[in-house]
Amino acid sequence: MKMLLQPILISMLAGAFILLIPRRFRRVIEGFSLITALYLFAASIKIFARSPIHADFLYVDGLSRFIVLGIGFFGALVTLYSLRFMASYKNVSTYYTYIIWTIGLSILAAVSNNIIVLLTAWGFLGFTLYMLINVAGPAAASAGKKTFIIVGGSDSLMIMGFAIVWLITGELNLSNIKIAIDSSLSFWAFLLIAIGAFAKAGAMPFHTWIPDTAKEAPIPVTAFLPASLDKLLGIYLLARLVLNVFILNSFSYALLMAIGAITIIAAVMMALVQHDFKKLLGYHAVSQVGYMVLGIGTGNPIGIAGGLFHMVNNTIYKSCLFLTGGNVQHKTKTSDLDSLGGLAKIMPITFFSALIAALSISGVPPFNGFFSKWMVYQAVIEKGKEGGVLWIFCIVAAVFGSGLTLASFIKLIHAMFLGKAKDATRNEVSWPMWIPPVILAFLCIVFGIFAYIVPLKYLIIPALSENLVFIGTWPSMKAALFLLVGLGVGLLIYLAGNFKGVRETASYIGGEEVTKDMRLSGTEFYNTIKELSPLKGIYAKAERKVFDIYEQGKRFAFFFIRIFQYLHNGVLPTYLGWCLLGMLIFLFVLVR
Amino acid sequence: MTQHLLPLFVAIPLAAAFLNALLGKKIKRLSDLLSAVATFALAAASIYAVLLFKETGVIVYKVGGWAPPIGIAMVMDGLTCLMLVTVNVIAFLVSVYSIDYMEKYTEKWNFYCLFLLMLAGMNGVIISGDMFNLYVFLEIAAISSYALVAFGTEHEELEASFKYAVMGTLASSFILLGIVFLYSFTSTLNMADMSMELAKRGPSQIVLLVSVLFLMGFGLKSALVPFHAWLPDAHPSAPAPISAMLSGVLIKSLGVYAMIRVFFSVLGATPQVLSILMTIGTISIIVGACLALGQWDFKRLLAYSSINQIGYVILGIALGTPLGILGGLFHLLNHSVFKSLLFLNSGAVEYATGTRDLQKMGGLKEKMPVTANTSLVASMSIAGIPPFNGFWSKMIIIVACVQAGHFAHASWAVLASILTLAYFMKVQRYAFFGELKEGLSRVKEVPLFMKLSMIALAVLCVAGGLLLIPGLSGGLLNAASDAVLNGKDYGVIVFGAIK
Repeated sequence: MKMLLQPILISMLAGAFILLIPRRFRRVIEGFSLITALYLFAASIKIFARSPIHADFLYVDGLSRFIVLGIGFFGALVTLYSLRFMASYKNVSTYYTYIIWTIGLSILAAVSNNIIVLLTAWGFLGFTLYMLINVAGPAAASAGKKTFIIVGGSDSLMIMGFAIVWLITGELNLSNIKIAIDSSLSFWAFLLIAIGAFAKAGAMPFHTWIPDTAKEAPIPVTAFLPASLDKLLGIYLLARLVLNVFILNSFSYALLMAIGAITIIAAVMMALVQHDFKKLLGYHAVSQVGYMVLGIGTGNPIGIAGGLFHMVNNTIYKSCLFLTGGNVQHKTKTSDLDSLGGLAKIMPITFFSALIAALSISGVPPFNGFFSKWMVYQAVIEKGKEGGVLWIFCIVAAVFGSGLTLASFIKLIHAMFLGKAKDATRNEVSWPMWIPPVILAFLCIVFGIFAYIVPLKYLIIPALSENLVFIGTWPSMKAALFLLVGLGVGLLIYLAGNFKGVRETASYIGGEEVTKDMRLSGTEFYNTIKELSPLKGIYAKAERKVFDIYEQGKRFAFFFIRIFQYLHNGVLPTYLGWCLLGMLIFLFVLVR
Repeated sequence: MTQHLLPLFVAIPLAAAFLNALLGKKIKRLSDLLSAVATFALAAASIYAVLLFKETGVIVYKVGGWAPPIGIAMVMDGLTCLMLVTVNVIAFLVSVYSIDYMEKYTEKWNFYCLFLLMLAGMNGVIISGDMFNLYVFLEIAAISSYALVAFGTEHEELEASFKYAVMGTLASSFILLGIVFLYSFTSTLNMADMSMELAKRGPSQIVLLVSVLFLMGFGLKSALVPFHAWLPDAHPSAPAPISAMLSGVLIKSLGVYAMIRVFFSVLGATPQVLSILMTIGTISIIVGACLALGQWDFKRLLAYSSINQIGYVILGIALGTPLGILGGLFHLLNHSVFKSLLFLNSGAVEYATGTRDLQKMGGLKEKMPVTANTSLVASMSIAGIPPFNGFWSKMIIIVACVQAGHFAHASWAVLASILTLAYFMKVQRYAFFGELKEGLSRVKEVPLFMKLSMIALAVLCVAGGLLLIPGLSGGLLNAASDAVLNGKDYGVIVFGAIK
């Protein structure tokens, strides 16, 4: 109990203390925040090692313990990264305060067993997210508003969902609740709470805040919240619901699978045509959630394990991608893919980290993204044995989505790092900014090659009560060895061959050397897709935000608002008429 | 001896108002001091009353030593305590705020005089144990509020005040008519006596008619749809401190409190009346939220938001379950804190920039940090974001709705709370975040006293959730909800407490 509460309490106090330090002692603020973040990381390792812990309203089991570990880890990493990245921002003290509070409250949300504690921590996290987005200044105000309306609004739905849970069971402790979804009431309870999880993690149709936030918020914030912590918590809650709190019926499973599949494919299609790399990564942050929801939605152990493993992997490579993107933006002051290029030679560390993360997210073996996707595919096929056609759609969406992810990352890597540079006077970023991506890229490799003996064994399998049965095993270490040998042989052939005879020349088009204004940017690769006939209309609609639940909700609300505004015409006799009418209705109701 | 505390709640503000009228013009700054001291004394007395109530229970004061039902009585039970604390603490902070804010108006002493009269009226309504006195105090408060709305004496203020006066007088007449019917039916005006008399006589058509009159009368005072139309004109037109008083406490003491007292304690809350209240509560929630979302005038937006939030209060109380009543009363308390704060914020913005139009503001966060941060706290509270106070009461109301099986009402409450979040996001986005608009670069933060009272209210918003822990609040909320739940036992309790 003390072990759990202490870090949470300290994070609250430390965060408040940062606000008291005068702004001009910038180094003190940064140092203090880093120490606090490292302490919280250490505390999360301790919680991880000592679990399971049962305390009054807190509870750490196999599922929540690795979530806690992840929160501490990313907290420390992002704080380290922020030291340099946030140097150009004015109000750092509020930034660090909210970062530290976010770490502490996320731990609280992950370990809370009591519904009310969970709701409190969960809701406050929405607020810290809102404030962190607003650190970016006036430009981010709209994105912050939209984000908080979606995230905070879904919290209200969660309150209703949990209220129904409480009505059914009379129980406030999650560990004592087990509800079968056999009535419309329990289904609504599940759906309303799941909406909270979806909005946090960014599954469709509650995803629209993520691309906007990714574009406007400071990069460490995006890497920290939408890309890692919100995924951890959202998917954690969904897994908790599916594993412990509810016994799902086949319809709920099918619903989850469909949401997962649609999220994968729709978000990746949007990612393909983006010109801003932050927005592109934002759409991928949505698309990847689809795999997690799909995996968990299959309901079989390998699917849930795959979904959770994919969540872990996604947080690693996605924050790596955002942070490397941050490095690029820090050096070039732009996030527009059209005006980037040729950075590989100038920023080699950033380039290699980004490359590894991009290969991971695209599901290229032997990296970690491949492994978890492979588990999700197996789970969908396993589900297919029960019959139906949904699984075919799901597997197609999953595999096809993976291919499109690769396609969009070829574009990203090319546009940012390869091709011709615009101007080449920059150098690599300083160490606080390249260490975090390197660590993450390293984890991508480790979690991929040693999947069985490290992440699955220590993180994922303890979270499940059942044993995993793989249909098709992927001998990750052997495969990696073969791949390495294959690459080595290829290199030998290349060296043995007459590479001296190769003539190097500048790139040319139609015999003409490429001039600066003829420069090819990676973004043009996929313009064709935008022009294809059925997709053209869809993209046009997407640009008009037809599929944005926020915009549609706004339109819907304003329809009623106009009616009400029309009725309030400011004429006194009308208002008096309403009063009399109201009285007559009351009289009728009471006397009848 | 302890019962002599009760008449002070009316006597202090009346005396201060009188002195203000007499001396305010002659001695500079006296009216500021007088009003601040008087309201501080009232706030302290109200907190003392809570502590006292914990020890002695219900207290009855016999005016002139005549025992009720013949004499006039003042009664203090749990609900009274809650309302007294709410009204007087807010009044004190508003009075402090007015010291600087009202500088831009002439005849400040008149303002304080009306303000204190209104306070006397509200305290009188809350503490009165007698139907006719309730009406008299209600009129004192209402008439001073008509004058205060017109205090700016510009076109807009006068029009709003006229509408407010016409509709308010209509409501007052219907309330008086209801009291007349009740008097002719029961031959008594004392609420406790009337309650027992009505219980003796059983159901009757007269009571139904009176219920309709009171629903309309008090419904208009508490601005429930469809009787709300005066509020969006009146509340924004008043000077900001008065808007804070009107939206923060006036509609609650004259409307909600009187409604609870009359229906639960005297007439008896029948399921039909409760279901009517639940329905109009829910309609108010939706209509208020929608109209607030469509507003660009800062203070008008807040006024519509009051309709929305009063809907929550009424919905919670009308559920009639212990949890619902607790949630409703807690929301009443919380709403008075954050809505007063928001009106004070809007006043501060108007004071500094000279506009109420959200589209003409922007980026004030850098220029007015205290106003921006306190309004952020208040917005989060009203939108129901944890750990601020509004979250707890909103959650209790939603849970209580679900518990009572009213899923439709609960869903509307939840949807409207999303809208609430949306329109306060709009306020934050356009007023405080966002680009600094041209012409606002020389805006300065407001003077000290305005800052002080905004900060104090913001602290109350943050700490408000702690009131749910009975040990910390002296059981304030539980005592209040018990008083409501006692219902028709009110008569027996009051007569038991006469010494």
